[in-house]
Amino acid sequence: MSFGGGGFRGGGGRGGAKPAGDRGGRGGKDAKDAGKRYFFRRRKVCKFCADKIDYVDYKDVKLLSSFVPERGKILPRRMFGTCAEHQRKLTLAIKRARNIALLPFAAE
Amino acid sequence: MSDRVYEILFIADPNLGEPEVDTLTAHIQGYVEKEGGRIQKVEKWGKKRLAYVIGRHREGSYVLIVAEGQASLVKEVERRIRVTDGVVKFMTVRVDDELRKAERRRARRAAEDEKRRGRTSERAAAPAEGGEGVPL
Repeated sequence: MSFGGGGFRGGGGRGGAKPAGDRGGRGGKDAKDAGKRYFFRRRKVCKFCADKIDYVDYKDVKLLSSFVPERGKILPRRMFGTCAEHQRKLTLAIKRARNIALLPFAAE
Repeated sequence: MSDRVYEILFIADPNLGEPEVDTLTAHIQGYVEKEGGRIQKVEKWGKKRLAYVIGRHREGSYVLIVAEGQASLVKEVERRIRVTDGVVKFMTVRVDDELRKAERRRARRAAEDEKRRGRTSERAAAPAEGGEGVPL
């Protein structure tokens, strides 16, 4: 029972998600300063807070589609830096928009 | 009980002509009014490409009706839309709660901005007044 492995796997899952969070290239320039794992990352600010959007409208396809990648998935918060409150509203709006065929469930 | 605000968004068959879509919209408005609802707004978005295929259709004419009424209105209107020909898909969303919350948040922010502006303008005004009295 103790080799359950569940705990180990769980850690692996998290590690797997990490590259997705990396923005910007690990280009040739970065490779020069080898030991350093730091690279410049702009601090992400919630677009809805910045633009003072209180109501995330499911009818606003232009706005919503900027938060939906080509595949049609809803991405985790860390990708766009939306705050928790707005991510919740965004998710709901995207789901509503999908229901009425304004946004895709999955890419064709 | 106070009335609620609903957005009824439906997709009409793209093969219907403009006048047919108009009569269809009028029909649905009629359903709403028959149930004691008040129409706030009707918006025709025209023909749009659907994000996915619905019953062989790749596009559809979107029409948005914003109506105010009791909860029982939705049930009856939806039932009637379901048996109406020419509607590919529809969705009803209650919006009054969320809009009210958004409005409240906007008001609060406006009040805060006002307060902040008042404070800075006071601070700006005060030294100017003092400045006159101090000879340099």
